[in-house]
Amino acid sequence: MRQLFIIFLIIVSMSVSAQSTEVTLGTEKEAWAKIDIMVKPLEVVSGGEKSQQHAEFVEAIIADDFRFSGLFNVITSAADQDTSSVSFAIVGFLEGRLPGTAITKEEDAPLLTLKLVTWPEQLLIFSKRYRPVSDKLRNTAHHFSNEVITYLTMEPSICMTRVAFTRGSADRRDLYCIDYDGANLLRLTANRTLNLFPAWSPDGSQLAFMSYREGQQGNYILDTSTGRVRVLSETVGSNLGPSWHPDGTEIIVSLSKTGQHEIYRLNMAGRILRRLTISQAIEVSPEWSPTGNDVVFTSDRSGSPQLYIMGADGSGRHRLTFEGRYNDSAAWSPNGDNIVYACREKDLTQIVMIKATGEDRQVLTDRSWRNCEDPRWAPDGRHIVFASDKSGVFKLYVMDVLERSVRQLTFGGEPDTTPDWSH
Amino acid sequence: MIRTILLLAVASLFIFAGCGKKATVEIDDNPVEAEVVEQVPVVPEVVEEEVVTPDYASMAPIELGIDDVFFEYDSYTLSEEAMAILEASSGIFKNFGDFLFVIEGHCDERGTVEYNLALGEKRSIAVRDYLTTLGVDSSKLRITSYGEERPFANGSDESAWSLNRRVHFARP
Repeated sequence: MRQLFIIFLIIVSMSVSAQSTEVTLGTEKEAWAKIDIMVKPLEVVSGGEKSQQHAEFVEAIIADDFRFSGLFNVITSAADQDTSSVSFAIVGFLEGRLPGTAITKEEDAPLLTLKLVTWPEQLLIFSKRYRPVSDKLRNTAHHFSNEVITYLTMEPSICMTRVAFTRGSADRRDLYCIDYDGANLLRLTANRTLNLFPAWSPDGSQLAFMSYREGQQGNYILDTSTGRVRVLSETVGSNLGPSWHPDGTEIIVSLSKTGQHEIYRLNMAGRILRRLTISQAIEVSPEWSPTGNDVVFTSDRSGSPQLYIMGADGSGRHRLTFEGRYNDSAAWSPNGDNIVYACREKDLTQIVMIKATGEDRQVLTDRSWRNCEDPRWAPDGRHIVFASDKSGVFKLYVMDVLERSVRQLTFGGEPDTTPDWSH
Repeated sequence: MIRTILLLAVASLFIFAGCGKKATVEIDDNPVEAEVVEQVPVVPEVVEEEVVTPDYASMAPIELGIDDVFFEYDSYTLSEEAMAILEASSGIFKNFGDFLFVIEGHCDERGTVEYNLALGEKRSIAVRDYLTTLGVDSSKLRITSYGEERPFANGSDESAWSLNRRVHFARP
């Protein structure tokens, strides 16, 4: 029996990894067959009404995590659902303290057991036990989804990721961050000035950003755990577009201290390591390739803003985009294959994806989306976040670039722009 | 009713009489007239005009006579009109040679945030460089860019966009 189960697991993981390969290579909807997974209601062992609420809360988050991954169909155990295609299930139970028996918040924490099992055999694949205090329930649910998705698909999961962005207009635009599923909106700055272009460090502990906090443009680094801000660069003129090297030891920026916008590599103390461009043109929006060997950036040396790629030392510069009179805001996909950017055509800005080789240009949005700007990749290489003024005001949306399905991430009346997805 | 109208007519006669000779009117026991007299506006006293020297240091550049200049879409080239405006302003810059001025580049909402910040700065640099060739001390000129972030006119049509593609002069 045990041997049979191991063989079964090997077959499952082989078929899953075959599918994953298709995801990174193909861009057609048919390339991916989703895994049907059942999320069973958690059994409430003790704790009454409050435990029941906690259980439903956790189930809902886990189900959303599977749906939002784009890799699963979520089947509930409702009587009218066809469960014949289900191969895995999430089951578990929650043991809450009886009301009035706990003194501290820690004592009040329920014991949560979550399991991934095969379906319908219900063979255990793995089981996790947590004791989350009530305000950590959400994180705990994401943590478990993350384990399951990574295990079953061998793809990086986005369950624990966050999106940083700026909200507001004119002189009061602050840095915010929000969980990838739209929960936990947090404001990170309150300096009554213009802040733009937050960029996550590879480890997620810091955000580089541009701000007028000292009256002039500068690049700064915010420690997200302490809220402390330090200066990266405050040179005369523009200090634009900070982007982290994938190893976290360098930041690439566009500075205009010479009177021309040029691309520079800075160390974490803000010292210039290397200047990568020399021209009279505007050269902005630098972004590292995931290997750190190349940089994509925008230059108007041809007379209109276009995307170019160059080596990390500034060599081998070549033009990437030839279609469209206005291309900017490039971002390199985590596997290095694709680049998304904003392209202005017929007075509307749209999101375009192109292979890093310059082939296979696809417009991902249409004119019903009005203006779409600042696309950034999720670490799964499947989703992008971008800003669109479809509703009349710029809000953030998440698109599955394989299925082209979109969900709205941020709401409210104030403009939200320049997002960046944590790694 | 007729009596009331008559009373009002008599009263209004008194009012006119009161207005006509307000300085010499003698207050009698007619309450209507007495009230009207009180309502006559007091002639304001003549205030002696002081000669005020303008506080130039606190005046905005526009108040000094320095006008903003405008640009074409996605361009940081100075038009003939923009150059004429700057030539007219250059004397004022020289007159107030000890003041610092900030040259702010602005763009319309079309295009991306980052490229527009760079474009706005290119506009402010073009203006600074032209003023410098006209003999303005460049050490008194600071450049900055707000891209599309601080529009002067709201709206999504050419009338708003053309107002927002500008270099605006400010004081630090």
